[in-house]
Amino acid sequence: MPLLELKGLSRRFGALVAVDAVDMGIEAGEIRAVIGPNGAGKSTLFNLITGLFRPSAGAVYFAGADITGLPAHQIAGYGIARTFQLTHLFPQLTARENVRIAAQARDKGRWQLLGGGGVLARTAALADEALERMRLSPLADRPAALLSHGDQRLLEVAMAIAQKPRLLMLDEPTQGLSIEETDHAVDNLKAALAGGELTMILVEHDMEVVFKLADNITVLHRGHVIADGPAAAVRADPVVQRAYLGGAE
Amino acid sequence: MRLGLVLGLVVLAGALLPLGLPRYLLTVLTEGLIFGLFAMSLDLMVGYTRLYSFGHAAAYGLGAYSAALILTHLHWPLPIALVLAVLTTLLVAIPIAWVCTKSTGVSFAMLTLAFAQLGYAMLFRFKEVTGGSDGIDGVPRPAGPFGIDWFQGETGYFYLVLFCLVGSYLLSRAIVRSPFGAVLAGIRENEAKARSLGYNTRAYKMTTVVLAYGFGGLAGALYAPFAGFASPELFFWLVSGRVLIMVIVGGAGTLIGPIFGGAFFLFLEHQLSEITDLWPLIFGSLFIGFVLLAPQGIFGIVAGRLRRKERAAPGGGEEAPDAAA
Repeated sequence: MPLLELKGLSRRFGALVAVDAVDMGIEAGEIRAVIGPNGAGKSTLFNLITGLFRPSAGAVYFAGADITGLPAHQIAGYGIARTFQLTHLFPQLTARENVRIAAQARDKGRWQLLGGGGVLARTAALADEALERMRLSPLADRPAALLSHGDQRLLEVAMAIAQKPRLLMLDEPTQGLSIEETDHAVDNLKAALAGGELTMILVEHDMEVVFKLADNITVLHRGHVIADGPAAAVRADPVVQRAYLGGAE
Repeated sequence: MRLGLVLGLVVLAGALLPLGLPRYLLTVLTEGLIFGLFAMSLDLMVGYTRLYSFGHAAAYGLGAYSAALILTHLHWPLPIALVLAVLTTLLVAIPIAWVCTKSTGVSFAMLTLAFAQLGYAMLFRFKEVTGGSDGIDGVPRPAGPFGIDWFQGETGYFYLVLFCLVGSYLLSRAIVRSPFGAVLAGIRENEAKARSLGYNTRAYKMTTVVLAYGFGGLAGALYAPFAGFASPELFFWLVSGRVLIMVIVGGAGTLIGPIFGGAFFLFLEHQLSEITDLWPLIFGSLFIGFVLLAPQGIFGIVAGRLRRKERAAPGGGEEAPDAAA
């Protein structure tokens, strides 16, 4: 049974069908890239899975449970962590506190009103570990707003990792990064994924990044899945070449 | 460390002050501390969670009327009446918080205002209980339990208010530094992100509103037996506006700033209103000045001074970039 399963998932905005009857299954431990031109419905798909949008039709199953249409915070509670295409952080808080708050969301003591030193200490330890994995430790005490754009994107990944998710969803993690920053980010992501226990879905435009990280690729075009399979096979697929890779590859 | 020292000095000064103070000033000071507590309660919403309430008078009025009714009709001991008034306010706050947190921003402010105005209107609708426009007069300060009566005099009452204020401050400080308080900071900074991390942000906001009502209710409950009456003005939107100004001028998000803001403004108002009828004009100008020139409030200015001095000292540590406001 796949860890994440989408069945006929659709979302209409008025007359526009942004996501059209998408079927998809992600196995535990798999790293899946979702690619497609702008407006193909990739981010909408993410928002449907994570509960930011309600599907117009279809269903989402996670580890066998029907999570279709649940509120975002409940879906996160199942162990699905995501980053956003446009960086979403707590700008005035330090990098460490950003990650610590993320870790706290998975802690039983997250509601503690008084005291809570134990909760703060153990989530701070998780935060430091996640920062270390993304090689951000030297910046831990800086307000997130003062980090470079590239480090902010890594910080958001660190926040997701600190939640020890069963499924990690990254929406264009290298968007807006320079070539060096992209290499740096890919290295860090690879290092973070090295254990092999993490399942990940990745939306990405940079094909180099996709081929470095992903096992399998799903190609979206105008809300439809037009190709689906191992990275090498999808790369060679003539339909994909025409629709997306544009022969340049 | 430094903050603790300052706080200790303030409490000590407060404790010694009434011994050599004319009665009139003591009364003004007591009222100032009550308003300081009221402003601090609103800071939990405004400063820590960015929930702008324009109806915090509802908390004040609820506490005041609950205490006034208990004290005049049942003659229960004052401390017990205070506790019951706070519980009543908390209870009423739950449905209010539930409705208000359905929205955000301006509509949140308008909903809080609507509830305060609803309370105001209900005072006139249920005249038999509330006394209508006359309010409730002759609110006593019954002694007990166990024969405690030191709070009945003006000096004793000042100490009671100081005790409640310091206790509420320490409690609020613990709350904003707890795991719960950290989530509030997250909601303030980016609510969508907090939600996507798995926090039920609405539940956190509801809890904050209820807590703020509780502390605000305590302030109101202290006011009724202090002034000896409860009147509909306590629910009026002007009170809500004034307390919001006190929070912003004092320094939102610092707890201690709004306490000083509240006390300072009440004191100023008493002094100015003796000199001129135009004191609201001065009040308004001061407010504009603060918003434009010192958006961090009185406490922000003081804390900034202290920090700069620290940095100027030899070996003043690494540069700590002030996060852009």
